[in-house]
Amino acid sequence: MSSMTGGEMNNQRTSVWRITLLIVVSALFMLPLVLMLLASLKPAEQLTGDPYSLLPERVVWSNYQQALEAIPYLKYLANSIVLCVGSVVGTVVSCSLVAYGFARLRWRGRKAMFAVLIATMLLPWHVTMIPRFVLFSELGLYNQLAAIILPTFLGDAFYIFMLRQFFMSIPEELSEAARLDGLSEFGIYWRIIVPLSKPALVTVAMFQLVVSWNDFSSPLLYLSDQEKFPLAYGLEQFVSSYSDQTHLLMAASVMFTLPMVFLFFVAQKSFTRGITMTGSK
Amino acid sequence: MSAVTQRRRRLSGWIFVSPWLLGLLILFIYPFIASFLWSFTEYDLLTSPRYVGTDHYQRIAQEIASGEGFGKALVNTVYFAVVSVPLSIFMAISLAVMLNWKVRGQAIFRTLFYLPSMVPIVASSILWLWLLDPRDGMVNGFLGFFYEVPPLWFQGIQEAISLDTPLQFGSKDGLAMMSLWGVGNFMLIYLAAIGDIEPSLYHAAELDGAGVWQKFRHITLPMLSPIIFFNLILGIIQSVQAFTQVYIVSEGTGQPAESSLMISLQLFLSAFRDLEMGYASAIAWVLFALLGLATWGLFRTSKNWVHYRGVRM
Repeated sequence: MSSMTGGEMNNQRTSVWRITLLIVVSALFMLPLVLMLLASLKPAEQLTGDPYSLLPERVVWSNYQQALEAIPYLKYLANSIVLCVGSVVGTVVSCSLVAYGFARLRWRGRKAMFAVLIATMLLPWHVTMIPRFVLFSELGLYNQLAAIILPTFLGDAFYIFMLRQFFMSIPEELSEAARLDGLSEFGIYWRIIVPLSKPALVTVAMFQLVVSWNDFSSPLLYLSDQEKFPLAYGLEQFVSSYSDQTHLLMAASVMFTLPMVFLFFVAQKSFTRGITMTGSK
Repeated sequence: MSAVTQRRRRLSGWIFVSPWLLGLLILFIYPFIASFLWSFTEYDLLTSPRYVGTDHYQRIAQEIASGEGFGKALVNTVYFAVVSVPLSIFMAISLAVMLNWKVRGQAIFRTLFYLPSMVPIVASSILWLWLLDPRDGMVNGFLGFFYEVPPLWFQGIQEAISLDTPLQFGSKDGLAMMSLWGVGNFMLIYLAAIGDIEPSLYHAAELDGAGVWQKFRHITLPMLSPIIFFNLILGIIQSVQAFTQVYIVSEGTGQPAESSLMISLQLFLSAFRDLEMGYASAIAWVLFALLGLATWGLFRTSKNWVHYRGVRM
């Protein structure tokens, strides 16, 4: 150690400082989640009697079972899964087809239509919400999960834009060769572009999965029958009736959050890639 | 290529984009026209719309002048955006700079910083509603060590000035705090952008004797400015459109004393609680116009501070 130069010692000191700061900030960011987890395991009387205590007096796993029954979690979960699967399929199918049309085909009006696509991204949902609601109600979609799933089959400007960028980076020669071999446009899309774009399609699927799982406003708007509520909406309904049952609320929130945390760990790469893609033009 | 295949390719373009075209028609063009027309009518969903001219727009103008209804919601929304957007940008850049430090465990820290952003908004609203509870919440339990009268958060309004406490945090500050916790997405975008900055720029600056702060101020910040601009625009749009967290922390009321009544919530309540579709549509169009104006204004000023590839635009 005695042979260390002043510069190296300085470097080492900065790096200790930096790691300390990183640990403190990480702890601060994780603290709310840790408190949620701890509260979900506390006995009810501890949360009201001694609200500032950190650790559970005794670990009450049965909070989870109680929350499962009280919400009712499993019924809402089934609805959430239907919404997520339907919306992810709708989004990936429609957006990849439309993106192919914009990225790989030349047709009159393409540029103008693409400008319209971008313009729709700038329109706040407030403007279209009420007529959409009226239209969907008249189509008999009110109180149907289909009211939330069907629109995903009509494409989403943001994902179409993302996939178009990705499709454009695939060499045009591949398509030309396939056309000479007599493949139809749909054949090129299905056999060449889709297999080569798996990472981008997975990213879009993951994004939409998170959006559908979290979506609160569409169920609030379209669903009235408790039998059809997804978790995001069912959980909020639970807040007003169980506001004094913090232990159950936290147990339910943990069970609602965990799948997303799990998803993030499984698909961290495609998330990170997708998010950084939105920032670079 | 023969004329036939060329025509077929042209046609297939329209066929491929047809799902979106259908969506454009029924999810955008029809609603766009309908909501504009309805904003000049009295419409309660049960009876057909009745033309009332510019009544709703006049009402909105009056409410802006008197600070009630839409005026109140506008002030709340602007307050929330002005507090949360700059703080979020500052937070996201600070975290990204820290994550760029070459230390052991970098990947773990990145995961830990990002994790709160994966928490569903409904769950994080429920969580913060509890953490910021004025009586039983952990945050006030902590603040109680230092202040006799801790803030009321979601049950308080920041406008009520009292001399009892230096901490006047109310519902909108609580919402801003929640948004700070979930800055992960922009943090990752900044992190990627910092990684793209040429190291030679820093080396050159070091040779000129620049310190840590000077390098950040004169290299990192200008290089990040296009993203800061993007973040600013998107942040304003998102805070103006914030709905779920606002709805949950106030149980769909905008209370107490309408301090968390944001434009999005007011529009929703006017439409689906009061069944005033015409007035709600007018709110939507005023909001659209205000957002457009704000975006245009920011683009005008961006020339002075946004650098593209080191060149000022």
